[in-house]
Amino acid sequence: MSTPQPSASSGVRVAESLTPDRRRTLVTFGAAILVFVVGAFLHEGFASASSVKAIMVVASFVGIVAAGQTLVILVGGIDLSVPWVLNAAAVLFATASLGRDTRAAYAVLVALGLGAAVGLVNGLLIAYLAVPAVVMTLAMNGIMEGLTLGRTQGLTCETCASYAPPSLQEAIHSDVLGIPVDLLLWLGVVLLVTLVLSFTTFGRRVYATGNNPVAAFLAGVSVRVVTVVLYMLSGVFAALAGIVLVAYSGQPTLGMGDPFLFQSIAAVVIGGVSILGGRGHYLGTVAGAVGLVGLISLLQAQNMPEYGRSIVYGVAILVVLLLFGREERT
Amino acid sequence: MTTVPSSAMPSHTGVRWRSALAQNMPLLLAFAILGGLTAVYVGLFHGQLDAFPGSFEWTSIVNTAMPTVLVAVGQTIVVLTRGIDLSVGGVIDLSNALAATQMQDSVASMVGWSLAILAIGAAFGALNGVLVAYGRLQPILVTLATLAILQGLALRALPEPGGVIPASYSDALANPGGPWSLLFVLAVALGWLMLRRARIGVRIFAIGNDEQAARAHGIPVRRVKVVAYALSGLLAAASGLFLSATTTGGDATAGDVYILTSIAAVVLGGISFFGGRGSALGAIAGAFVLTVLTNVLFFAGIDPLYQSFFQGLFLVVAVLLGAVLGRLLRGSA
Repeated sequence: MSTPQPSASSGVRVAESLTPDRRRTLVTFGAAILVFVVGAFLHEGFASASSVKAIMVVASFVGIVAAGQTLVILVGGIDLSVPWVLNAAAVLFATASLGRDTRAAYAVLVALGLGAAVGLVNGLLIAYLAVPAVVMTLAMNGIMEGLTLGRTQGLTCETCASYAPPSLQEAIHSDVLGIPVDLLLWLGVVLLVTLVLSFTTFGRRVYATGNNPVAAFLAGVSVRVVTVVLYMLSGVFAALAGIVLVAYSGQPTLGMGDPFLFQSIAAVVIGGVSILGGRGHYLGTVAGAVGLVGLISLLQAQNMPEYGRSIVYGVAILVVLLLFGREERT
Repeated sequence: MTTVPSSAMPSHTGVRWRSALAQNMPLLLAFAILGGLTAVYVGLFHGQLDAFPGSFEWTSIVNTAMPTVLVAVGQTIVVLTRGIDLSVGGVIDLSNALAATQMQDSVASMVGWSLAILAIGAAFGALNGVLVAYGRLQPILVTLATLAILQGLALRALPEPGGVIPASYSDALANPGGPWSLLFVLAVALGWLMLRRARIGVRIFAIGNDEQAARAHGIPVRRVKVVAYALSGLLAAASGLFLSATTTGGDATAGDVYILTSIAAVVLGGISFFGGRGSALGAIAGAFVLTVLTNVLFFAGIDPLYQSFFQGLFLVVAVLLGAVLGRLLRGSA
């Protein structure tokens, strides 16, 4: 700010100095805020502090899953195994804790470890055996579904009635400085992923791999290792979302992960991350998750029936795609 | 290409056989898996019941496989253009919901609504194609969005599971008295072979192999893509009609499982997800493999709760087997 400029032109300058991807992220944040502004007009109390808090909490579950989805999509992959990795981790977390505070740390580690292990298998087969990501993660979703259902006998096993440890339930429902702990956790995820993507060598390698794996390989990036690590992280984030959901609602249920597959992909897409890899940022996904969940909540508040929400949801994705998601003319 | 003099052809028939084998390996593998699995099924059945599977068992297998066969062939056509169609589940939902609520027990109503439902499916497929080809959007995202729209429309048509399908309609499409549906399988296979040799079929393969080259050769890439997606929508609607006939009722979410089963059938059929390589005959075999596998797991006394575990495992093993065999054959050819 050593050379003062008239405010209007400096605003333009700032906008021009941003990369298209960053501008896109800002636009998504604007759209998310717009949802809440429109909501405030349509529905009294929609933008009140308690309502926004509740919506943000729901968005945080989508956002945590979408963190992993963003990472694998950045290298041109996709993770269709999130629903049952999330569900399996949630069930494992509850059953391993037996509802006791003393076992809470152990249960969290075991559940996160499960996510990492599943992601490792996904990544290894995709990176080293060239199994298409869609096929591998689709099959893995089935494998985890079968294991969860079979091992717990349809969630009727002895320990399946376990609740999340009370201390964790209490913690996730409490506020620190007026902000729910769950949102602080999400903030932690946002900071971590942003830090890794924007300020580390690993982050540069992720973008290099996503833009052109061959060029990245020739430049000395161990493309396969990067890919495996990203799928592991996707498994860990899905498991984390499962743990948080159980801590929030008390008990796991079967099928609790199903809505998160398409919602996580939708948040990534709305957030401007290219499905072809190499372009976009998790911050865009965060805005996408908030906007998406905000929109769904608004439609719910307007008493729109489920079929109408589904249609609006589809149309909204198409509109966003047509506005921003078009490929270059070839 | 037909003008190549015979002297220019490779004289080593061994080499030719081998390369032909390598080229058709995925398809052969799909049928080998189907054959092997069917043998296991017959063996287990005989071991358990001391009899061979009869007309009732085969009829049930064919009728259960039919919806997957149809939707998998449609999925194949789209995958060959290097795309993917997630909206097929929504098309089946809507077809099932409409059939269960609208169809009356008269020939005119049944034929009329069948044609209307097929047209709706094709129209939604064409919409996908337009958005992908002219809108320059990614197939997986477009069909994800239209899937949500179709699911919404299906719920609007049939909010709660219910409705009835006329018994005569069920008998016509999925007659429980005998495996007559095999005739439909045959018809679909013949339709595929004709498509494969028609101009549109050649163009679909050309686009899947190299879109830029196809465009450079004057192929109307965008129009061909619209046709490919429309065919997928049409076949998904047909799949929905068959599903209605076998379940004799309506459920606006019944089609959702077919998103993943259609992809699984395509994978088992040896069709490349990178486009341009594969045959719908493989996907038909893949659809039957999935159905027979369910029966094998049942007769092997495996807890039904573990079913999707073994299906997932089977999928991975099949893909790896195909990759390993392909590498071996190509390496030695």
